[in-house]
Amino acid sequence: MGEEKDLLSSLLLELRRGTLVLSVLSQMEEPKYGYALVQSLDEKGVSIDPNTLYPLLRRLEGQKLLESSWETGGSKPRKYYHRTEYGTQIYMNLKQQWKQLSYSMEQLLKEDEV
Amino acid sequence: MNPRDEELMERYIYQVIRHLPRDQRSEVGLELQELIGDMLEESDSMEEVLTKLGNPAEFAKKYQDTAHHLIGPEYYDTYLWFLKIVLICTLIPVLAVGVIDGVTEAAASSGSDAVGTGFRIVGYIFANVAGSCIISCMGAFGGVTAVFAVMERQKIKFDLRNEKKWSVNDLGDNFTSRKNIWTPEYLAPVPHKKAIISRGDTIVGIVFIVIFCVLLIFAPHFFSAIFRDNGVITTIPVFNLEHWNIILPVFAVNLVIGLADEVVRLVAGCYCRLVMISSIVTGILQMIISVIILKVFPFWNPDFAVEVKLHLSEQMKGAFKLFENWDGNMVSNGLLAFIFIITFLEIGTTVYKTIRYGTVSGSGDGMTSK
Repeated sequence: MGEEKDLLSSLLLELRRGTLVLSVLSQMEEPKYGYALVQSLDEKGVSIDPNTLYPLLRRLEGQKLLESSWETGGSKPRKYYHRTEYGTQIYMNLKQQWKQLSYSMEQLLKEDEV
Repeated sequence: MNPRDEELMERYIYQVIRHLPRDQRSEVGLELQELIGDMLEESDSMEEVLTKLGNPAEFAKKYQDTAHHLIGPEYYDTYLWFLKIVLICTLIPVLAVGVIDGVTEAAASSGSDAVGTGFRIVGYIFANVAGSCIISCMGAFGGVTAVFAVMERQKIKFDLRNEKKWSVNDLGDNFTSRKNIWTPEYLAPVPHKKAIISRGDTIVGIVFIVIFCVLLIFAPHFFSAIFRDNGVITTIPVFNLEHWNIILPVFAVNLVIGLADEVVRLVAGCYCRLVMISSIVTGILQMIISVIILKVFPFWNPDFAVEVKLHLSEQMKGAFKLFENWDGNMVSNGLLAFIFIITFLEIGTTVYKTIRYGTVSGSGDGMTSK
């Protein structure tokens, strides 16, 4: 029983992992700092651990999909990320692919409901 | 934030960033400070925040996305096979040298007591051979691993270059085309039968190089003329053992370059552009190093001819004449000519086989991006 649970959670994790980049990119048109992103995603039902998100943000920056800048005006320095032009281009493309994918998946999963 | 919380936070951040590359540490540290501060505002205690963030080592792992292996699965089999051969070829000569040295040492110092001599031999072998076995095997292991590790990194670079090339050819805006998509065009043609380099083809070269290398390191005194006058053994080394400490490393480098070339052949598995380039580069390097060793370094024992003559005069008059004309410089020239001819033959054969049977444009199956 425990094994089944483990398998299920690892499969679920894999399933979610694929959607992370798209989820993050979708929120990045306006500059956001890391924890605000965690919260806004959480409010919309997509929970992501900070220890996953922060490395991911750096990776996306490394891939030139995001850009960052430090804001030192507030009570403490904050690093804001936002989508680059290239990032937007990629995001639009991914979004389109996702829509196709989810439509196809829906058709597939409908089959055994009839 | 109270001092205790601050201390905890600093400890946590340190545990994360100490695993990261130096140039990323301060930036990630600031990011984590910001994150932990934000999380603390919404929770009861620092402990809760840090527990939520989890094991700092796991956290650090997520920041690292570089390859975490020295030798990948593609080379692993070849690596193991090669390592076995090299270790065997190292161990056997080291043992042999130890036994021979032990016997001669004991024979030279012994009286008629056979049991005592036996013990001395065994003692000598245990004392000296065990140490040199460990040292030589570690060296061999390290050398082989280093060669393969370099190949692994080079292959990664090679793959990246292929990827770039691919995206240029593929002019579309569609970002997915920038990825390295496999197409049947990537299939390297099955090599011509005569172009295949099997393990058997390379093993002779490997065994020879390793054994020679081991002997040069552990028993340069084996390359000597040995005379026995009334039970007294005299050995006259051919090489200049006084300067051996500078000659040996260069000599060893020369042999290791040869070994690296054998590895390239082995991994490529057939005559191809990569093998051809490796063969040419190796050949040129080895010729240059040979010139340095033989012409620049005091390679030969300067007293060799004189000493040999001294001993020969009492024994054979025929061979005496041969050493009358012994001249280190001349021997070097002869040897160099020999090395040059062999090297050119080797390069020539490789180039011929590559052009005739191999794939000049591509690279062997081991090196193509898949």
